[in-house]
Amino acid sequence: MSTRRRRSIFDVIDEYFENLEEWAERFREALIEKPSWNRRACTIEPLRNVMITPTEVIVTVDLPYTEENTIQVKPINNDTIEILAKLKQKVKLYDLGITHYKGEFQTFHCQTRIPVSVHMDRMEIRFKKGILEIHLPRKHEYEISVE
Amino acid sequence: MSAEVKIIEKKDIPHDAVMLFGFPDVGLVGVIAASHLISELNLTEVAYMDSSLLPPLIVLHEGLPHSPIRVFGNHNILLAVSETAISADVIYPIMHSLIDWGRSKKAQMMISLSGIPIQDRQDIEEPKVFAAASSKEVLKMIQDKGIDILKEGYMVGPQAITMQYCASKSVPAITLLAQCFFNYPDPKAAAEVLNKLAIITGIKVDVSNLLEKGEEIRLRARDVMRRTQQEMSKMKKTQEYDIPLYVS
Repeated sequence: MSTRRRRSIFDVIDEYFENLEEWAERFREALIEKPSWNRRACTIEPLRNVMITPTEVIVTVDLPYTEENTIQVKPINNDTIEILAKLKQKVKLYDLGITHYKGEFQTFHCQTRIPVSVHMDRMEIRFKKGILEIHLPRKHEYEISVE
Repeated sequence: MSAEVKIIEKKDIPHDAVMLFGFPDVGLVGVIAASHLISELNLTEVAYMDSSLLPPLIVLHEGLPHSPIRVFGNHNILLAVSETAISADVIYPIMHSLIDWGRSKKAQMMISLSGIPIQDRQDIEEPKVFAAASSKEVLKMIQDKGIDILKEGYMVGPQAITMQYCASKSVPAITLLAQCFFNYPDPKAAAEVLNKLAIITGIKVDVSNLLEKGEEIRLRARDVMRRTQQEMSKMKKTQEYDIPLYVS
């Protein structure tokens, strides 16, 4: 006999609204134009890419001008990781030819959502030629056999 | 030339020049290569594009407005370069107008500088450069110079239109494609393209500076790459990874 607890209708509704809110947030992020840097936090957002293979998810992040020993990759929940990395030296907007704003950056920062279930605790990281590679083994929670 | 697109000439335009194209695309290979050519050869702006098809955008340099699509040159080179990603909706009239203008100046050959995306690019030390040509004669000339040919596959973007249009007008044209990152700026791939350009045309530039400043270029080019990626996704650029079905 199954011992699984039945979820109440309120749990289901709560979950539905949570999912809806999360979806709306992602949609807003995708649609609203924003600069790729944050002057207040002194951070810039790196370019990144997510690839799904049958066995793992590979996230690559372009981190030029980065001190390798400052790179931090932190899971912030089951499906999102946060990446931080310090630049070799502070970069002023002025150095990039921008004279109408003042600001400087010393850190790459981004959060990336992982679109399928993964084992965050078995994450492997490598850094080569300024490209950070994060390997996350996939979690296959159940399989349906072909009859 | 399309009525919606005008090329405004600022200086005398040489005849029989080699016309090069460096447009935002994978790895920003063409734009990085073009920018390096402009600085190394001291090319000056000889013409610019004025078009209602372009977004409402100007590029400010030293406080003065410039069109995002400009032609630089000297006595034997014309180099068309765009500082903004071109939308898939307007790419045909823009490329056709530039080629028609180049033909009116009797450009001897059109060469697109670009990249071809490859997975695990970070594991490749020396990216290979492949070429495609508008005719069998041009293809043979490239092969004779020892450059690998892109035999089968898909080409998407400005260089695809350039190649097709030049072939239909019997204008000799080449596309040079260096293996590169899909959505990260790739100065090393740009350097390899310039090395092959030198073999084909004799237009030689020192690429050591480009390689030394590689990380700085990648940092600066981040935003242009981000915008270009959005346009590439609209024009289904990932089709270049596809395995072609050969129809004879």
